[in-house]
Amino acid sequence: MRISELKLLIIRSLDIDGDPEKGLRGLEEAGVDYRFSDGFRDKVLGRIASAGNTVVREMESVRNLNNVFSRIALTGVAAIVILLISIFMVQGSLSLDSFLGLGNSYDESLVYLLTGN
Amino acid sequence: MIMESYRQKSDAELVKFSLEGDKQAFGEIVNRYQGMVARTVKGMLGDSVFSEDIGQDVFIKLYYSLSDFRGEAKLSTYIQKIAVNLTLNEIKRRKRFFSTFSQKGNNEMYEFEVADYDTEEKKEARELVGKALMSLDPKFRVIVTMRMLQGYSTKETAEILDLPLGTVLSRLSRAQEQMKEILGKL
Repeated sequence: MRISELKLLIIRSLDIDGDPEKGLRGLEEAGVDYRFSDGFRDKVLGRIASAGNTVVREMESVRNLNNVFSRIALTGVAAIVILLISIFMVQGSLSLDSFLGLGNSYDESLVYLLTGN
Repeated sequence: MIMESYRQKSDAELVKFSLEGDKQAFGEIVNRYQGMVARTVKGMLGDSVFSEDIGQDVFIKLYYSLSDFRGEAKLSTYIQKIAVNLTLNEIKRRKRFFSTFSQKGNNEMYEFEVADYDTEEKKEARELVGKALMSLDPKFRVIVTMRMLQGYSTKETAEILDLPLGTVLSRLSRAQEQMKEILGKL
């Protein structure tokens, strides 16, 4: 097919009232056809398989992270409970002053501690 | 022999088997529709290996969204919508990249690779169509690709692109005008 004929075919294939399938067939006959390279299907399936492995690995790492987090959380809670008990035993109460370590201090000694006079 | 049996299955059956984890069934969907996806992606992005990556992305996205496919529309329409969306996203990405990092013109965002098996005449025809398509505004290019390379009616095009029929008709008409100008210069 000559280039001028091909140009005409392209323009006619865009006619609103024209038959789109006719234009498509004409272009295919002229050699205008697109396709992917050989082995396209296997490449797609290969990427899906590797993406599947990635998903499994991601799920495993999330699960591991959850395990680590629950252990850290349990240890943290235990540490807080021990701290509260020790504060109660030393200070005799669980007030804000006790938490700040000021339960048994006099105001004067506080001033001395802060200013040195 | 196994693939032969899959070839006789309907789209609905292949989707069902794929959802059950049958990779060969999904492979048959890829075989069945790769030509259609190639025409959309390469028609809109140019004939290059990069377009092939987008083509693979289309089927990977399809694989992970198969459970959303309810069978109300044809599987081909569903795949075509994915192909168009991914391709338009790629066009936007390239446009952003080229406007930020390069002074090159619109046409240079696309590559042309003519396959070895083409005869000289076919090579010329493919080059002409490729250059003409890449010179079109992307919103016209997608309409022209659906019409010229897929053979869709304006109604089918409107359904795939989620556009009103009137918009498709007016864009097709303007695309034809633009195409006449472009082909006049080539």
